[in-house]
Amino acid sequence: MPKAFFIDTSRCTACRGCQIACKEWNELPPNQTRQRGSHQNPPDLNPNNYKVVRFSEHLDAGTVKWLFFPDQCRHCQDPPCISVGGSLVDGAMIHDAQTGAVVYTDKTSQISEKDFEEIRESCPYNIPRRNPKTGVISKCTMCFDRISHGLLPACVKACPTGAMNFGEYPDMLALANSRLADVKKTCPKANLADADTVNVIYLLIDEPKKYHDFAVAQNDTGIDRKTFLAHLFAPVRRSAESLSLD
Amino acid sequence: MDCNRREFLQVTGTGVLGLSLLQLGVDVKPVQAYTATLKIEGAKEVVTVCPFCSVSCHIIAHVRDGKLVSTEGDPEYPINEGALCAKGASMLTMTSNKHRLKKPMYRAPGSTKWEEKTWEWTFEQIATRVKKVRDTDLILQDDKGQTVNRLDSMFFIGTSHADNEECAAAHQMVRGLGIVHVDHQART
Repeated sequence: MPKAFFIDTSRCTACRGCQIACKEWNELPPNQTRQRGSHQNPPDLNPNNYKVVRFSEHLDAGTVKWLFFPDQCRHCQDPPCISVGGSLVDGAMIHDAQTGAVVYTDKTSQISEKDFEEIRESCPYNIPRRNPKTGVISKCTMCFDRISHGLLPACVKACPTGAMNFGEYPDMLALANSRLADVKKTCPKANLADADTVNVIYLLIDEPKKYHDFAVAQNDTGIDRKTFLAHLFAPVRRSAESLSLD
Repeated sequence: MDCNRREFLQVTGTGVLGLSLLQLGVDVKPVQAYTATLKIEGAKEVVTVCPFCSVSCHIIAHVRDGKLVSTEGDPEYPINEGALCAKGASMLTMTSNKHRLKKPMYRAPGSTKWEEKTWEWTFEQIATRVKKVRDTDLILQDDKGQTVNRLDSMFFIGTSHADNEECAAAHQMVRGLGIVHVDHQART
Protein backbone atom coordinates (compact mmCIF):
# COMPACT_ATOMS: atom_id res chain seq x y z
CA MET A 1 0.00 0.00 0.00
CA PRO A 2 1.58 3.29 -1.04
CA LYS A 3 2.11 6.16 1.33
CA ALA A 4 0.68 9.55 0.44
CA PHE A 5 0.77 13.21 1.35
CA PHE A 6 -2.35 15.27 1.72
CA ILE A 7 -1.58 18.96 1.27
CA ASP A 8 -4.48 21.15 2.35
CA THR A 9 -3.71 24.54 0.78
CA SER A 10 -6.76 26.03 2.50
CA ARG A 11 -4.78 25.71 5.73
CA CYS A 12 -1.44 26.87 4.34
CA THR A 13 -0.25 30.27 5.59
CA ALA A 14 2.94 30.13 3.48
CA CYS A 15 5.16 30.29 6.56
CA ARG A 16 7.57 28.08 4.58
CA GLY A 17 8.40 25.93 7.61
CA CYS A 18 8.09 22.89 5.30
CA GLN A 19 10.43 24.38 2.72
CA ILE A 20 13.11 25.10 5.33
CA ALA A 21 12.62 21.82 7.22
CA CYS A 22 13.20 20.01 3.90
CA LYS A 23 16.32 22.03 3.21
CA GLU A 24 17.65 21.42 6.73
CA TRP A 25 17.00 17.69 6.79
CA ASN A 26 18.63 17.24 3.39
CA GLU A 27 21.40 19.71 4.34
CA LEU A 28 21.05 21.61 1.09
CA PRO A 29 23.18 24.73 0.59
CA PRO A 30 21.74 28.25 0.31
CA ASN A 31 20.87 29.99 -2.94
CA GLN A 32 21.95 33.47 -3.94
CA THR A 33 18.71 35.44 -3.63
CA ARG A 34 17.50 38.84 -4.68
CA GLN A 35 14.36 40.91 -4.27
CA ARG A 36 12.04 40.06 -7.14
CA GLY A 37 8.89 41.68 -5.80
CA SER A 38 7.46 38.43 -4.45
CA HIS A 39 7.68 36.57 -1.18
CA GLN A 40 8.24 33.41 -3.20
CA ASN A 41 11.87 32.60 -2.67
CA PRO A 42 13.65 30.96 -4.41
CA PRO A 43 11.72 31.66 -7.61
CA ASP A 44 11.61 27.97 -8.60
CA LEU A 45 12.63 24.47 -7.58
CA ASN A 46 16.38 23.96 -7.99
CA PRO A 47 19.01 21.41 -6.90
CA ASN A 48 19.14 23.15 -3.49
CA ASN A 49 15.35 23.22 -2.98
CA TYR A 50 13.31 20.05 -3.32
CA LYS A 51 10.34 21.98 -2.09
CA VAL A 52 9.22 25.56 -2.74
CA VAL A 53 6.11 27.35 -1.52
CA ARG A 54 4.67 29.16 -4.53
CA PHE A 55 2.89 32.48 -4.02
CA SER A 56 0.30 33.46 -6.59
CA GLU A 57 -1.85 36.56 -6.46
CA HIS A 58 -4.72 37.51 -8.75
CA LEU A 59 -7.79 39.71 -8.80
CA ASP A 60 -11.14 38.09 -8.05
CA ALA A 61 -14.04 40.53 -8.53
CA GLY A 62 -11.83 43.44 -7.50
CA THR A 63 -10.40 41.66 -4.46
CA VAL A 64 -6.81 40.46 -4.32
CA LYS A 65 -6.61 36.73 -3.66
CA TRP A 66 -3.35 35.22 -2.53
CA LEU A 67 -2.88 31.51 -3.10
CA PHE A 68 -0.13 29.36 -1.61
CA PHE A 69 1.11 26.14 -3.13
CA PRO A 70 3.81 24.04 -1.41
CA ASP A 71 5.20 22.47 -4.59
CA GLN A 72 7.06 19.14 -4.55
CA CYS A 73 7.35 15.83 -6.38
CA ARG A 74 3.94 14.10 -6.58
CA HIS A 75 5.40 10.56 -6.37
CA CYS A 76 3.14 9.47 -9.24
CA GLN A 77 1.56 6.05 -8.93
CA ASP A 78 2.77 5.33 -12.46
CA PRO A 79 5.73 7.71 -12.72
CA PRO A 80 6.56 8.86 -16.29
CA CYS A 81 10.10 9.83 -15.18
CA ILE A 82 10.79 6.21 -14.23
CA SER A 83 9.33 5.02 -17.53
CA VAL A 84 11.69 7.33 -19.35
CA GLY A 85 14.82 7.15 -17.21
CA GLY A 86 14.35 4.27 -14.78
CA SER A 87 16.46 1.81 -16.73
CA LEU A 88 19.25 4.19 -17.80
CA VAL A 89 21.56 3.60 -14.84
CA ASP A 90 20.95 0.78 -12.40
CA GLY A 91 19.93 2.20 -9.03
CA ALA A 92 19.78 5.83 -10.18
CA MET A 93 16.03 6.33 -10.36
CA ILE A 94 13.85 4.02 -8.33
CA HIS A 95 10.14 3.56 -7.79
CA ASP A 96 9.75 1.84 -4.45
CA ALA A 97 6.82 -0.55 -4.67
CA GLN A 98 6.22 -0.65 -0.93
CA THR A 99 5.92 3.07 -0.20
CA GLY A 100 5.24 4.44 -3.67
CA ALA A 101 8.22 6.76 -3.26
CA VAL A 102 10.03 7.86 -6.41
CA VAL A 103 13.65 8.26 -5.35
CA TYR A 104 16.65 9.55 -7.29
CA THR A 105 20.10 8.64 -5.98
CA ASP A 106 23.60 10.08 -6.52
CA LYS A 107 23.97 7.58 -9.35
CA THR A 108 21.88 9.96 -11.48
CA SER A 109 25.17 11.81 -12.04
CA GLN A 110 25.89 9.12 -14.65
CA ILE A 111 22.83 10.19 -16.65
CA SER A 112 23.64 12.55 -19.51
CA GLU A 113 22.30 16.09 -19.69
CA LYS A 114 20.34 15.19 -22.82
CA ASP A 115 18.67 12.25 -21.09
CA PHE A 116 17.92 14.49 -18.13
CA GLU A 117 16.03 16.87 -20.43
CA GLU A 118 13.88 13.94 -21.55
CA ILE A 119 13.26 12.97 -17.94
CA ARG A 120 12.30 16.52 -17.01
CA GLU A 121 10.02 16.84 -20.01
CA SER A 122 8.32 13.59 -19.15
CA CYS A 123 7.33 14.95 -15.74
CA PRO A 124 3.76 16.28 -15.85
CA TYR A 125 4.60 18.57 -12.93
CA ASN A 126 8.02 19.86 -14.05
CA ILE A 127 9.83 18.67 -10.92
CA PRO A 128 13.28 17.08 -11.56
CA ARG A 129 16.28 19.42 -11.45
CA ARG A 130 19.90 18.72 -12.35
CA ASN A 131 22.95 20.15 -10.62
CA PRO A 132 25.12 21.37 -13.52
CA LYS A 133 28.32 20.91 -11.46
CA THR A 134 27.81 17.37 -10.20
CA GLY A 135 25.29 16.13 -12.78
CA VAL A 136 23.13 14.75 -9.95
CA ILE A 137 19.40 14.90 -10.64
CA SER A 138 17.40 15.62 -7.53
CA LYS A 139 13.93 16.21 -6.15
CA CYS A 140 11.81 15.33 -3.12
CA THR A 141 12.67 11.85 -1.82
CA MET A 142 9.50 11.47 0.32
CA CYS A 143 12.16 11.61 3.09
CA PHE A 144 12.75 7.96 2.31
CA ASP A 145 15.24 7.52 5.15
CA ARG A 146 12.80 9.01 7.65
CA ILE A 147 9.68 7.13 6.55
CA SER A 148 11.64 3.85 6.48
CA HIS A 149 12.31 4.44 10.19
CA GLY A 150 8.71 5.32 11.04
CA LEU A 151 9.28 9.08 11.11
CA LEU A 152 7.16 11.65 9.29
CA PRO A 153 8.72 13.44 6.30
CA ALA A 154 10.51 16.58 7.51
CA CYS A 155 8.02 18.94 5.83
CA VAL A 156 5.01 17.23 7.39
CA LYS A 157 6.65 17.13 10.81
CA ALA A 158 7.33 20.88 10.71
CA CYS A 159 3.98 22.12 9.39
CA PRO A 160 2.34 24.21 12.16
CA THR A 161 -1.13 24.50 10.59
CA GLY A 162 -1.98 20.95 9.59
CA ALA A 163 -1.71 21.74 5.88
CA MET A 164 0.85 18.96 5.40
CA ASN A 165 -0.30 15.43 6.20
CA PHE A 166 1.21 12.01 5.57
CA GLY A 167 -0.02 8.45 5.87
CA GLU A 168 -1.43 5.49 3.98
CA TYR A 169 -2.90 6.48 0.61
CA PRO A 170 -6.52 5.44 1.38
CA ASP A 171 -6.43 7.33 4.69
CA MET A 172 -5.08 10.45 3.03
CA LEU A 173 -7.66 10.23 0.23
CA ALA A 174 -10.44 9.87 2.80
CA LEU A 175 -9.08 12.87 4.73
CA ALA A 176 -8.82 14.85 1.50
CA ASN A 177 -12.43 14.06 0.56
CA SER A 178 -13.78 14.96 3.98
CA ARG A 179 -11.85 18.26 3.96
CA LEU A 180 -13.05 18.91 0.41
CA ALA A 181 -16.68 18.55 1.49
CA ASP A 182 -16.06 21.06 4.30
CA VAL A 183 -14.09 23.57 2.23
CA LYS A 184 -16.63 23.47 -0.62
CA LYS A 185 -19.20 25.10 1.66
CA THR A 186 -17.15 28.31 1.60
CA CYS A 187 -15.14 27.82 -1.59
CA PRO A 188 -17.39 26.23 -4.26
CA LYS A 189 -14.48 25.91 -6.70
CA ALA A 190 -12.46 23.73 -4.31
CA ASN A 191 -11.02 20.59 -5.87
CA LEU A 192 -8.52 17.79 -5.35
CA ALA A 193 -5.65 17.90 -7.85
CA ASP A 194 -5.08 14.61 -9.72
CA ALA A 195 -5.91 12.66 -6.54
CA ASP A 196 -6.34 9.33 -8.35
CA THR A 197 -2.94 9.18 -10.05
CA VAL A 198 -0.45 10.67 -7.58
CA ASN A 199 0.62 10.10 -3.99
CA VAL A 200 0.62 13.82 -3.17
CA ILE A 201 -2.98 14.98 -3.02
CA TYR A 202 -3.55 18.73 -3.04
CA LEU A 203 -6.74 20.37 -1.88
CA LEU A 204 -7.02 23.59 -3.89
CA ILE A 205 -9.63 26.26 -3.14
CA ASP A 206 -9.57 27.71 -6.65
CA GLU A 207 -8.80 26.63 -10.20
CA PRO A 208 -5.42 24.85 -10.41
CA LYS A 209 -4.15 27.28 -13.08
CA LYS A 210 -4.43 30.13 -10.59
CA TYR A 211 -1.91 28.41 -8.32
CA HIS A 212 0.78 27.32 -10.72
CA ASP A 213 1.12 26.21 -14.36
CA PHE A 214 1.95 22.68 -13.23
CA ALA A 215 -0.44 22.37 -10.27
CA VAL A 216 -2.19 19.57 -12.15
CA ALA A 217 -0.68 17.32 -14.82
CA GLN A 218 -0.05 19.09 -18.08
CA ASN A 219 -1.49 16.50 -20.39
CA ASP A 220 -4.31 17.56 -22.68
CA THR A 221 -4.02 14.94 -25.36
CA GLY A 222 -7.39 13.46 -24.57
CA ILE A 223 -5.90 10.02 -24.00
CA ASP A 224 -5.09 8.74 -20.57
CA ARG A 225 -1.51 7.59 -20.30
CA LYS A 226 -2.43 4.46 -18.39
CA THR A 227 -5.00 3.44 -20.99
CA PHE A 228 -2.50 4.05 -23.76
CA LEU A 229 0.16 1.92 -22.11
CA ALA A 230 -2.27 -0.80 -21.17
CA HIS A 231 -3.19 -1.21 -24.83
CA LEU A 232 0.36 -0.98 -26.05
CA PHE A 233 2.08 -3.32 -23.63
CA ALA A 234 -0.64 -5.69 -22.50
CA PRO A 235 0.75 -8.72 -24.40
CA VAL A 236 4.31 -8.08 -23.19
CA ARG A 237 3.21 -7.51 -19.61
CA ARG A 238 1.31 -10.76 -19.56
CA SER A 239 4.27 -12.77 -20.76
CA ALA A 240 6.58 -11.02 -18.32
CA GLU A 241 4.22 -11.73 -15.43
CA SER A 242 4.08 -15.38 -16.29
CA LEU A 243 7.89 -15.49 -16.18
CA SER A 244 8.15 -13.66 -12.90
CA LEU A 245 9.59 -15.85 -10.14
CA ASP A 246 7.99 -14.03 -7.24
CA MET B 1 -2.80 12.86 -32.41
CA ASP B 2 -2.40 16.52 -31.58
CA CYS B 3 0.16 16.74 -28.85
CA ASN B 4 3.46 18.43 -28.14
CA ARG B 5 6.71 16.81 -27.12
CA ARG B 6 6.12 16.94 -23.35
CA GLU B 7 2.69 15.39 -23.68
CA PHE B 8 3.93 12.72 -26.03
CA LEU B 9 6.66 11.69 -23.60
CA GLN B 10 4.21 11.64 -20.74
CA VAL B 11 1.75 9.46 -22.58
CA THR B 12 4.16 6.99 -24.02
CA GLY B 13 7.00 7.06 -21.55
CA THR B 14 9.26 6.15 -24.43
CA GLY B 15 11.79 8.90 -24.39
CA VAL B 16 15.18 7.38 -23.86
CA LEU B 17 15.15 3.64 -23.91
CA GLY B 18 11.68 2.69 -24.92
CA LEU B 19 10.17 0.31 -22.45
CA SER B 20 11.21 0.41 -18.85
CA LEU B 21 11.21 -2.64 -16.63
CA LEU B 22 8.22 -1.29 -14.78
CA GLN B 23 6.07 -1.31 -17.87
CA LEU B 24 6.92 -4.96 -18.39
CA GLY B 25 5.67 -5.90 -15.00
CA VAL B 26 9.11 -6.61 -13.53
CA ASP B 27 9.15 -5.56 -9.92
CA VAL B 28 11.70 -2.96 -8.84
CA LYS B 29 14.28 -3.62 -6.21
CA PRO B 30 13.53 -2.19 -2.80
CA VAL B 31 14.98 1.26 -2.60
CA GLN B 32 16.43 0.58 0.86
CA ALA B 33 19.64 -0.69 -0.64
CA TYR B 34 20.32 2.72 -2.14
CA THR B 35 19.67 4.96 0.80
CA ALA B 36 21.94 5.71 3.69
CA THR B 37 20.93 4.90 7.22
CA LEU B 38 19.03 7.47 9.23
CA LYS B 39 21.46 10.24 10.14
CA ILE B 40 19.97 10.76 13.60
CA GLU B 41 19.95 7.08 14.56
CA GLY B 42 21.63 6.62 17.92
CA ALA B 43 22.23 10.34 18.37
CA LYS B 44 21.63 11.90 21.77
CA GLU B 45 18.43 13.93 21.98
CA VAL B 46 18.71 17.27 23.76
CA VAL B 47 15.58 19.37 24.21
CA THR B 48 16.17 23.05 23.65
CA VAL B 49 14.05 26.16 23.16
CA CYS B 50 13.81 28.06 19.89
CA PRO B 51 15.53 31.45 20.42
CA PHE B 52 13.21 33.51 18.25
CA CYS B 53 9.68 34.54 19.23
CA SER B 54 7.80 34.36 22.53
CA VAL B 55 6.00 31.15 21.55
CA SER B 56 9.25 29.45 22.62
CA CYS B 57 8.73 26.20 20.71
CA HIS B 58 10.66 23.22 21.96
CA ILE B 59 13.20 21.71 19.60
CA ILE B 60 14.95 18.34 19.78
CA ALA B 61 18.63 18.74 18.99
CA HIS B 62 20.31 15.55 17.81
CA VAL B 63 23.89 15.43 19.02
CA ARG B 64 26.54 12.91 18.04
CA ASP B 65 30.13 13.06 19.30
CA GLY B 66 29.50 16.53 20.66
CA LYS B 67 28.37 17.78 17.30
CA LEU B 68 24.89 18.94 16.32
CA VAL B 69 23.67 16.76 13.44
CA SER B 70 19.98 17.68 13.15
CA THR B 71 17.17 19.64 14.77
CA GLU B 72 13.42 19.23 14.66
CA GLY B 73 10.30 20.16 16.61
CA ASP B 74 9.59 18.35 19.88
CA PRO B 75 6.27 16.50 19.48
CA GLU B 76 5.89 16.09 23.25
CA TYR B 77 5.77 19.82 23.93
CA PRO B 78 2.10 20.86 23.98
CA ILE B 79 2.64 24.32 22.49
CA ASN B 80 4.18 23.40 19.14
CA GLU B 81 3.46 19.64 19.09
CA GLY B 82 6.50 19.02 16.88
CA ALA B 83 5.75 21.82 14.42
CA LEU B 84 8.06 24.72 13.62
CA CYS B 85 7.92 27.81 11.44
CA ALA B 86 10.54 28.66 8.84
CA LYS B 87 12.78 30.31 11.45
CA GLY B 88 12.54 27.54 14.01
CA ALA B 89 13.04 24.94 11.30
CA SER B 90 16.36 26.56 10.34
CA MET B 91 18.03 25.89 13.70
CA LEU B 92 20.70 23.55 12.37
CA THR B 93 21.94 26.09 9.82
CA MET B 94 21.63 28.93 12.29
CA THR B 95 23.99 27.06 14.57
CA SER B 96 26.51 25.96 11.97
CA ASN B 97 26.40 29.01 9.69
CA LYS B 98 29.72 30.80 9.29
CA HIS B 99 28.00 34.18 9.77
CA ARG B 100 26.89 33.28 13.29
CA LEU B 101 28.17 35.74 15.90
CA LYS B 102 29.96 34.11 18.80
CA LYS B 103 31.68 37.11 20.42
CA PRO B 104 30.68 40.75 20.97
CA MET B 105 31.50 42.91 17.98
CA TYR B 106 32.28 46.60 18.33
CA ARG B 107 32.29 49.31 15.71
CA ALA B 108 33.75 52.60 16.95
CA PRO B 109 31.94 55.85 16.06
CA GLY B 110 32.87 56.79 12.49
CA SER B 111 34.66 53.53 11.86
CA THR B 112 33.82 51.16 9.00
CA LYS B 113 35.34 48.11 10.70
CA TRP B 114 33.93 45.71 13.26
CA GLU B 115 36.33 44.54 15.99
CA GLU B 116 35.98 41.49 18.18
CA LYS B 117 35.79 42.35 21.90
CA THR B 118 35.61 40.41 25.14
CA TRP B 119 32.45 40.23 27.23
CA GLU B 120 34.27 42.02 30.13
CA TRP B 121 35.17 44.95 27.92
CA THR B 122 31.64 45.07 26.49
CA PHE B 123 29.86 45.03 29.87
CA GLU B 124 32.11 47.79 31.14
CA GLN B 125 31.44 49.90 28.06
CA ILE B 126 27.68 49.44 28.44
CA ALA B 127 27.78 50.37 32.13
CA THR B 128 30.02 53.40 31.53
CA ARG B 129 27.87 54.71 28.68
CA VAL B 130 24.57 54.15 30.45
CA LYS B 131 25.85 56.05 33.46
CA LYS B 132 27.23 58.88 31.33
CA VAL B 133 24.01 59.34 29.37
CA ARG B 134 21.89 59.18 32.51
CA ASP B 135 24.11 61.68 34.36
CA THR B 136 23.82 64.23 31.55
CA ASP B 137 20.28 63.64 30.22
CA LEU B 138 18.10 62.80 33.23
CA ILE B 139 15.17 65.25 33.37
CA LEU B 140 14.30 65.85 37.02
CA GLN B 141 11.37 68.24 36.49
CA ASP B 142 9.09 69.08 33.56
CA ASP B 143 8.01 72.57 32.37
CA LYS B 144 5.40 72.82 35.11
CA GLY B 145 7.92 72.07 37.85
CA GLN B 146 6.57 68.57 38.50
CA THR B 147 9.11 65.92 39.47
CA VAL B 148 9.37 63.39 36.61
CA ASN B 149 12.91 61.84 36.86
CA ARG B 150 12.67 60.89 33.18
CA LEU B 151 15.41 59.67 30.83
CA ASP B 152 14.21 60.25 27.25
CA SER B 153 17.45 59.53 25.45
CA MET B 154 17.57 55.81 26.14
CA PHE B 155 15.50 52.90 24.90
CA PHE B 156 15.30 49.45 26.43
CA ILE B 157 14.41 46.31 24.52
CA GLY B 158 14.19 42.86 26.10
CA THR B 159 14.19 39.35 24.78
CA SER B 160 10.97 37.63 23.84
CA HIS B 161 11.97 34.79 26.15
CA ALA B 162 11.79 36.74 29.39
CA ASP B 163 9.09 35.31 31.62
CA ASN B 164 6.80 37.36 33.86
CA GLU B 165 9.22 37.50 36.79
CA GLU B 166 12.22 38.35 34.62
CA CYS B 167 10.19 41.09 32.94
CA ALA B 168 9.29 42.49 36.36
CA ALA B 169 12.97 42.62 37.37
CA ALA B 170 14.01 44.19 34.08
CA HIS B 171 11.16 46.67 34.32
CA GLN B 172 12.19 47.78 37.81
CA MET B 173 15.77 48.25 36.62
CA VAL B 174 14.85 50.44 33.64
CA ARG B 175 12.28 52.46 35.63
CA GLY B 176 14.96 52.97 38.26
CA LEU B 177 17.13 54.54 35.57
CA GLY B 178 14.19 56.73 34.49
CA ILE B 179 13.77 55.06 31.12
CA VAL B 180 10.21 55.34 29.77
CA HIS B 181 10.69 53.74 26.36
CA VAL B 182 10.49 50.01 27.08
CA ASP B 183 9.57 47.23 24.73
CA HIS B 184 10.18 43.58 24.25
CA GLN B 185 10.61 41.46 21.17
CA ALA B 186 7.71 39.09 21.26
CA ARG B 187 6.65 39.31 17.66
CA THR B 188 9.26 37.71 15.50
